[in-house]
Amino acid sequence: MVASAIVSATEFPQAREPVIELRSVSKTYGAADGVKALDGVSFDVHEQEFVSILGPSGCGKSTLLRAIAGLTAFDGEGLSVGGQPVVEPMDDVGVVFQSSNLLPWRTVEANLRLGAEIRRETPDPQRMTAMLEMIGLSGFENRYPHELSGGMRQRVAIGQALVRNPKVLLLDEPFGALDALTRDKLNFELLRIWQAEKKTVVLVTHSIPEAIFLSDRVVVMSDRPGRLLEDVRIELPRPRDPKSTRTSADFGKYVVRLGELMGVQ
Amino acid sequence: MRGMSRRSTTKGGRARGLLQGVAFFATLAVVWEGSVRIFDIRSYLLPPLSDVIKEVIASRALLWQHGIITFNEVVLGFIAAAISGVMMAALVFFVPIARRTVYPLLIGLQSIPKVGLAPLIIVWFGYGLNSKVIMSFLFAFFPIVISTLGGLAGTPEHLEEHFRALRASRWVTFWKLRVPSALPSFVDGCKVAMPLAVIGAVVGEFVGSNDGLGNLILLATGSSRSSLTFAALGAVTAMSLALFAVVAGFGRLVWWRAQS
Ligand SMILES: Nc1ncnc2c1ncn2[C@@H]1O[C@H](COP(=O)(O)OP(=O)(O)OP(=O)(O)O)[C@@H](O)[C@H]1O
Ligand SMILES: [Mg+2]
Repeated sequence: MVASAIVSATEFPQAREPVIELRSVSKTYGAADGVKALDGVSFDVHEQEFVSILGPSGCGKSTLLRAIAGLTAFDGEGLSVGGQPVVEPMDDVGVVFQSSNLLPWRTVEANLRLGAEIRRETPDPQRMTAMLEMIGLSGFENRYPHELSGGMRQRVAIGQALVRNPKVLLLDEPFGALDALTRDKLNFELLRIWQAEKKTVVLVTHSIPEAIFLSDRVVVMSDRPGRLLEDVRIELPRPRDPKSTRTSADFGKYVVRLGELMGVQ
Repeated sequence: MRGMSRRSTTKGGRARGLLQGVAFFATLAVVWEGSVRIFDIRSYLLPPLSDVIKEVIASRALLWQHGIITFNEVVLGFIAAAISGVMMAALVFFVPIARRTVYPLLIGLQSIPKVGLAPLIIVWFGYGLNSKVIMSFLFAFFPIVISTLGGLAGTPEHLEEHFRALRASRWVTFWKLRVPSALPSFVDGCKVAMPLAVIGAVVGEFVGSNDGLGNLILLATGSSRSSLTFAALGAVTAMSLALFAVVAGFGRLVWWRAQS
């Protein structure tokens, strides 16, 4: 869990095949005159790309993620993951929600095993050990969620999504409930995990610096009903480092730019 | 959420807590014994504690013999209530038709005073074991259904969504999510139901029986053996407490609350 672990990171991941394709996705809760949460959102996410969705509270970010995860019905021209139209949750997609996914009556290890258990598989013990290591919780496998800190719990949730080795990882403000310091630290770990695991990641956040620091692209959404305001490419060099990346002049420019888009002066 | 009461954790603290309890009950015993003697209360109204204790020792075989009978009635009635209560809760929760038909019927039946039903139950099922088991069952059934139902309905929505995301079948979601998250509520219901099951059996014995502690209380009171009445009452109370402790002990196995 030390900063030097990132040194092994590879070069800037180039945009490859589109993995997630959204074409004018809309969503209205309730009847036709209900709450319009999404209004014609279109964008692509490419293989091994890290894309953040940034927007004010209530603009439909979670709704968008749920739609990609196949957890909610939507209108529009189409939404596909890995070339398959999304009609139900897919095995190739791992999700981590805003609130903890963990079952309080299962230990860390048993929580990690849940996905495999549901699919009637025996989890690969090596993968389990490696995952515990990766999320920095070796030695905690027999603890229950209530014995862990909030940050540790969210790391288990991420581990639970990753242990099944999905191609796509959807994260809905996984560290939203944590203090800024812990959050920065875990973001850095997330970056490391993403580089090690080579996943396609979509992260929902409403923190501008977090989005810039982590992402290849930031999709900025408007206030409700959520529309796509702008798709900003973040051309900061990788590997990124908490100190030098955040203090670079380019980082500051992105902060100003995204701040303007979101109406923050 | 491992225990609701604050507990003394140090050894000295625990010893002091025990001492306080003992002192309190010793004082009660002295007040009882003393006031009966000082105010010269006639023993058919309130026997001195020492007489009750003597009676317990003298009639222990009798108390045991009747106690076993009541114990069997209570345990059978309670187990039947727990099993069918869970099944009823699952039926009402998962079958929409049952929610609209069986459930209102259940609420209606619950509103009938069960004490008033006792004579009918005796007429239908006789003076023996069956009628008491059914009385015990009737008292214990409803709280178990209601609390289990609450537990099933209270499964956190974000965990349900998580199971959907993991593509869990309804069956798997039931066993791996709903059952564990409803268990603490089920246990709460059992804790309420256990003393009620004892009351149900004793009421049944009052209304019509040849034996059991309720019957013994009636006989002893009828023949003005008030110390035996008190001894039998003490036996019922002790049984109720012991059975509650057993349920609470099992309950400690499900320490979690799903809403973490
Ligand atoms: N199940 C639902 N039923 C009805 N309306 C809903 C539902 N879920 C969300 N909404 C509405 O849709 C809108 C978008 O909600 P969503 O949760 O997607 O916002 P969000 O961008 O994730 O917000 P936050 O940053 O606060 O998490 C909100 O106005 C909300 O009231
Ligand atoms: Mg949200």
